[in-house]
Amino acid sequence: MRVMVDLARCQSYGQCVFAAPEIFEISGQEVLEYDSAPSDEWRLHALRARAACPVQAITIGPAAGPGQDLRQPPATRPAADSVGVLR
Amino acid sequence: MSKSTGVASRPVSVSDVSTPRAELFARVLDPASRANPYPLYAALRSEPVSRQSDGTWVVSGFDEIAALLHDPRISSDMTNAGQSAGGQSLIMQDPPNHDRLRAAVMGRFTPEVVESLRQEVHNLIDGLLDAVGSGTSLDLVEEIAYPLPVSVICALLGIPPQDEARFHGWADTLARTLDLDPTMSREEQAAIDHAFTELHHYLENLVADRAEHRGDDLVSGLLTGGDRGEPLRGQELLITVRLLLIAGHETTVNLITNGMLTLLRHPDILERFRREPELVVPMVEELVRYEPSVQFRYRAALADIEIAGTTIPRGSVVVLLLAAGSRDPGHFTDPDSFVPDRIPNEHFGFGGGIHYCIGAPLARMEAQIVLPELVRRLINPRLTMDPPPYRPTAALRGPRHLWIEVDGIRP
Ligand code: HEM
Repeated sequence: MRVMVDLARCQSYGQCVFAAPEIFEISGQEVLEYDSAPSDEWRLHALRARAACPVQAITIGPAAGPGQDLRQPPATRPAADSVGVLR
Repeated sequence: MSKSTGVASRPVSVSDVSTPRAELFARVLDPASRANPYPLYAALRSEPVSRQSDGTWVVSGFDEIAALLHDPRISSDMTNAGQSAGGQSLIMQDPPNHDRLRAAVMGRFTPEVVESLRQEVHNLIDGLLDAVGSGTSLDLVEEIAYPLPVSVICALLGIPPQDEARFHGWADTLARTLDLDPTMSREEQAAIDHAFTELHHYLENLVADRAEHRGDDLVSGLLTGGDRGEPLRGQELLITVRLLLIAGHETTVNLITNGMLTLLRHPDILERFRREPELVVPMVEELVRYEPSVQFRYRAALADIEIAGTTIPRGSVVVLLLAAGSRDPGHFTDPDSFVPDRIPNEHFGFGGGIHYCIGAPLARMEAQIVLPELVRRLINPRLTMDPPPYRPTAALRGPRHLWIEVDGIRP
């Protein structure tokens, strides 16, 4: 399974961390980190995270097929316009 | 869109009635509109920032609500609009005090804490449905939706089971304090004051006890503090715990009740839900958009705010009509339809910005457990009365009773 977060939309509300702590984490200064290729075991959790995101920044797709490795390292983002929900 | 001052008094057609635009919000507040306020919201949205004849500014467009939810010139402390203090809890405060108190709660309202309540929610819904017994009719509000969320909050706070009944009584009475309700009678106000005093005494003792014997409940956690939040003490702790009880009660009652009501009004979707249990995930979100427990929130303007071609003057009372924004056709396709798998679904059901609902993860979990159980166990459920009778409050909207006939209850 592939998980993508539109980091331009993300405001660090942190709802994804409640829904899928196996995939999403908001560390110290409100920086979102996530696993963009989590195990299918967490599919339901990923769906919950997508639904719960207040700005609907999460998309879920099938895992990349062989030969087209779309995996990315865990993404991070500065806390520029975050709303401070976890502050 | 025309924004000339004359617009406000021009009549707008709202289904079969005409109401001057500047009187529309008064009609929203009128209990007679409770069963279906949405045509009034649609009429208001034709002027997304609308001055009402009493001087209140009603904001009903998606973009305008989103902008003001993030605008530091908008205050949640209604003393800034000349109103009496509505309590000092964090929901009625601005930064920096709001942020400090919120951080203290968030530091302890963790994913682990919410997850630890999952089994309790299952046990509660099982027990409540078992208690309906072999009857063929039930009031979903009285028998299921009302008792469940208070029990969950009691579990969260670590209230001993033998004290729960008293909590239910206080929660009932205090639910009204989330509404700024000018029609509240002297007796109601007295009942609220009395409940506040009793709850206060109870919590004082609870806090004193937890200070001696820390547990893994939220009250102990707030006393201890966490990585991100300082410990809370005294009045601040009491007021914060009281807020959790009030904010997490009737909102969740209404989500469960509106959920069943909406499903029973859409038998095709109910059937589909039986076959596709995973549908519950986007469906709960759609319920919070389509029939939100919190229809609007009051704010105060700290400065003159230019928006949508008009200016909200400093000191004004501002109504953020969240439920209208969540049905704005400029943002949602087919906004008046209940689409259980609507994706994306960026709604205001849990607010937005710095006051975004702290309990949203818990509320989602409760609804995602309770609705499938109701659908699984109630055999051939039918609405006895549609629309059902509603509670009078406009901001916190939901049925007072939801009578359902069933052929039985599955084990
Ligand atoms: C379906 C259930 C619920 C709904 C629809 C709901 C909705 C909301 C909304 C719209 C707000 C924003 C208020 C504003 O902007 O002025 C809010 C805030 C809040 N909610 Fe909820 N809520 C629900 C359940 C809960 C639960 C279960 C809890 C706690 C256990 C809770 C605790 C809070 C708190 C503490 C705030 C204030 C946050 C702040 O001011 O920073 N809510 N809720």
